[in-house]
Amino acid sequence: MDLTFTPEQLAFRDELRTWLREHGPAGALPPEPTDEDEQWAWRRAWQRTLHEGRWAGVHWPTEVGGRGATLSETAIFFEELGRAGAPLPADVLGILLAGPTLMVWGDDAQKERLLPTILSADETWCQGFSEPDAGSDFGAVKTRAVKEGDEWVVTGQKVWTSGAQYAKWCMLVARTDQDAPKHKGLTYFVLDMEQEGVDIRPLVQITGHPEFNEIFLDGARIPDSMVVGGVGNGWKVALTTLMNERAGLAFFLQVRLRQQLDRLVAEAQATGRADDPLIADRLADLHVRTEALRLMAWKGLTAIEQYGQPGPEGSLTKWLWSETNQLLVQLAVDVVGSEALTGNAGWAFELLRARGNSIEGGTTEIQKNIVAERVLGMPRGR
Amino acid sequence: MRFELSEDQQEIQGAARELLAARSTFARVREVAEREEAAPTGMPDLSAVTTTREDEALWKELGELGWTGIAVPEEHGGQGLGVIELAAITEELGYAVAPVPFLGSVAAALVVQHEGSEEQREDWLPHLAAGGLRGAVTLTGDRAPVPGAAEGGLTVVADAAANGPAALYGPGSGVVEEVDAIDPTRGHGRVAIDALDPEGELDGRGEWLGGTPTATGPGLDRATIVVAAELVGVAQRALDMTVAYVKERRQFGVPVGSFQAVQHGAAQMLRDVTMARSLTYHAAWMADAGDPAQLPVAAAMAKAAASDAGRAVTAAAVQLHGGIGFTWEADVHWLLKRAQVDAALLGGGGHHRRRVAAAQAAGGSGSGSGA
Repeated sequence: MDLTFTPEQLAFRDELRTWLREHGPAGALPPEPTDEDEQWAWRRAWQRTLHEGRWAGVHWPTEVGGRGATLSETAIFFEELGRAGAPLPADVLGILLAGPTLMVWGDDAQKERLLPTILSADETWCQGFSEPDAGSDFGAVKTRAVKEGDEWVVTGQKVWTSGAQYAKWCMLVARTDQDAPKHKGLTYFVLDMEQEGVDIRPLVQITGHPEFNEIFLDGARIPDSMVVGGVGNGWKVALTTLMNERAGLAFFLQVRLRQQLDRLVAEAQATGRADDPLIADRLADLHVRTEALRLMAWKGLTAIEQYGQPGPEGSLTKWLWSETNQLLVQLAVDVVGSEALTGNAGWAFELLRARGNSIEGGTTEIQKNIVAERVLGMPRGR
Repeated sequence: MRFELSEDQQEIQGAARELLAARSTFARVREVAEREEAAPTGMPDLSAVTTTREDEALWKELGELGWTGIAVPEEHGGQGLGVIELAAITEELGYAVAPVPFLGSVAAALVVQHEGSEEQREDWLPHLAAGGLRGAVTLTGDRAPVPGAAEGGLTVVADAAANGPAALYGPGSGVVEEVDAIDPTRGHGRVAIDALDPEGELDGRGEWLGGTPTATGPGLDRATIVVAAELVGVAQRALDMTVAYVKERRQFGVPVGSFQAVQHGAAQMLRDVTMARSLTYHAAWMADAGDPAQLPVAAAMAKAAASDAGRAVTAAAVQLHGGIGFTWEADVHWLLKRAQVDAALLGGGGHHRRRVAAAQAAGGSGSGSGA
């Protein structure tokens, strides 16, 4: 056990803290707008600022504009971003998912064309994995891509696509072989969103916000040069994306949780509700859970650094995080009172938004299945 | 940053697991628990012990191997290792539900070592380290059965309030009443001391820890972490047994472990154990190498999570074993019983969440800052 940081890591953290003081929420960053489109523009500008400071893709290799940061440093980056109250860069999907996937599976031409515009936020990304009938069941993807000359013609529907209305590119998984077994007939494409045959419709959520979209694909075209990792390899390539998804956000999410909890504790103390033993007990329980999440995130990272692969913590962490966030927002309503039930911002928004936490990125039920079958080695479920 | 036992620490834990797998089988645990006559434990002279709720041979062996003194400084006859190593071993003793008075003795040694006077350290640590003397730690006003508490042993009573003092009661002090706890795999005593009055005397039976009535903290926190570590081991065993059982046990023509409800129950068990273990080893690291100011909250969080996990996971183990899990014949109840006693020992989940809440109110968020 050694929970101390190396001098290099501390120097990295200090450099970042200094930079964030000047450019982050306490410095030059203007307050977050409420309008959705303005919010996007604001986060995009923030990503450009990060990029100018070479902080947009810290874990990317230096030759493609990153810092070549280690996993620990990347974790420190997210912790510090959260601690400063700074937003995520606009194109999280490009930075955390598309870029790293292309670095593993993309050919030289793809890397040269696609990587440089990710960190600068000149071109942003969305993720076309989910379909109305294929959420967690990835093998049930129905969207078809048919080869015509040196192009693929795509027909089908994707759903839960965040950022689609702003995205230039989509990481698209489509079926290219109807006869192959479920996971074998899939191919991973990069789809240009700015073309005929791509119809994006906002999907309004229970918060009233259209954070997600549906995408209808009707004869959209993808040049053969935009197949990533080879025809029929879509499942393998997509796994790279999904692994990055679970590993990348854990640190930011747990720090966000900590910020929310600190805010709630402050409100509970200001209103005197913290003196209520039941409230105090629930607040303390949230502290215990939040600290456990922080430690499990570091533990997962140790496993990757020591053995090259994540431990079982990924699914446990995602599940614990979503449940804890839901408990937190529910407690906020009890602490703040009915005030929290009015309006469409603040705790009222968080209360509703948190319901999605246990669904997005793999439902809690799926996380439990993963834990039972892949970690505990229990027989395949029924 | 490396959130994992070092190679040396893993070796210690692995050796402990191996030895206990041979010495503390469920058959052996049952043999000890089902002995007809139970006599008080805690006799300073091992040869004087006749029939007790413990495996005397194993206890003697652990003393000779130095386990009991692993975290006691070398100048007092121990091995001078840290709380991490001690927690790693204690986890294994919990895993094996070992019928030995280990937990109380090492907890008492930690309190004496970190809060006792030099004289008290010299008097008691060598005996505790060698395993010849039993120890026990409890809180004032707590009527819970205290593992290891015996008339012939050393008993530490700490004020249940955060900033109260603690007292030491030597062998023959008359503060311990032998009780039959629900956990029959080791001896327990009740220590009926409701309060320690810093102005008053200790009835001539005990002495103030450290010589004067001063607030307890670092020793008791360490003892609390070690109890959490035993709970982690108990819960891990309950999980392992359950997973093994549901893979074998068939209903409706398939292993019950293929049912999603059973899978999700087991996943919940793993989650609870993982949370508790993460917080426990973090607290142990805080004790050995971290910021002393953060130790109280780290220890409180560990015990809060471990108490809850110990109860929930062993209860789930009985549930997922089905009817057989409710029988005396199945071994899973030894785990449930040990977990129930440990969960209450040195304060349960609610007690420790109150400590976390108090730290919040005092302005400390209780969050580690990434060390």
